[in-house]
Amino acid sequence: MAGHEDSGASKKKTADSSNDLPTFNAENLQNNMKIIYYSRTFLSIIGGVIAGILGYTGLTGFVFYFLIMAITSLGLAAKAKFSIHSYFDCWNRLLLDGFLGGLLSYVLFWTFAYDIVHIF
Amino acid sequence: MAEDLVLDTAIRDWVLIPLSVVMVLIGILRYFVSKLMRSYQSPDAKVVKEGQVVIRARSLRAAANFIPLKSFRARRAYFSNEENGLLYVPKGQVPNAQAQMFSDPNMAMDMMKKNLSMIIPQTLTFAWVNFFFSGFVAAKIPFPLTQRFRSMLQNGIDLSTVDVSYVSSRSWYFLNLFGLRGLFSLILGEENATDDTQRMMQMSGFGFDPTKSLSAEKDSLDIVQHEWALPKFEQRAEEVLRRLVS
Repeated sequence: MAGHEDSGASKKKTADSSNDLPTFNAENLQNNMKIIYYSRTFLSIIGGVIAGILGYTGLTGFVFYFLIMAITSLGLAAKAKFSIHSYFDCWNRLLLDGFLGGLLSYVLFWTFAYDIVHIF
Repeated sequence: MAEDLVLDTAIRDWVLIPLSVVMVLIGILRYFVSKLMRSYQSPDAKVVKEGQVVIRARSLRAAANFIPLKSFRARRAYFSNEENGLLYVPKGQVPNAQAQMFSDPNMAMDMMKKNLSMIIPQTLTFAWVNFFFSGFVAAKIPFPLTQRFRSMLQNGIDLSTVDVSYVSSRSWYFLNLFGLRGLFSLILGEENATDDTQRMMQMSGFGFDPTKSLSAEKDSLDIVQHEWALPKFEQRAEEVLRRLVS
């Protein structure tokens, strides 16, 4: 949990919005991308454990994964105070980047928790 | 046939958890070993120079609209001039750089070391799993799969009526292999040696980078349309001030 909050607190402004022609500080943009990646990975692991404990099977589990990803996007947007353009270059990056990257970790921890709780 | 099999608790204690723990530990070990074994190549002066030139050209392209037309043209000529422009690479030099990169013994050794450090732990762990943990049901996947996956996932189990969701420990090993990558990137800092395909692409791209990217930069610099943004700044300043005042 500490890692998640630390990384969320250090988003940096990338665009100088006083120009018509937005310029992006590439290093900060990359830092923000990394933060998104870490948040998604962490939440997909936690989400996998939750799904396993709650006993979701089949399609419900995958729907839960997309729900977790949507919550992540919402949380990140809220953290950026909804002024996306001063932190990222477009909406798609925040919403869709790394969407499916956490899927494998999610399935691993989902299987793990499900088995430990329900089968054994 | 979705009857629920009841599996022995001992399987959970002695198969699932130890296998995951071992894979995590091996991943950490491999990370530290690769850190220790990394040989520092002193960067080639020529390659660094070319990289900086590319960066300069890129900044020029990005900020082209902030400087007057004449100075932009002067800078562009400096870069892409046929005779002595920085980005112009005569064709004769191109194959040389590549051949040199390939036959460089240090680089070959480095690549081999990294490949080996990736492959050996995986092979060993796989052999260990096959030897000790075969022939029984190890876990149940929470989602249903088609019959085609049966041979892949249930290779030690010879009953054909068991639901495909009940898998052998080999598939648990593979699931761990892919799923722990995310965990490693969280606990070991930046993206590390477990993502092998990405790093191999980076390594092979290193030798070709200077020559191709120079001509690419030159082309894109030639394409840039210059539109000086300065005349409009007074209006924009007026807008901003109005917003502040009102």
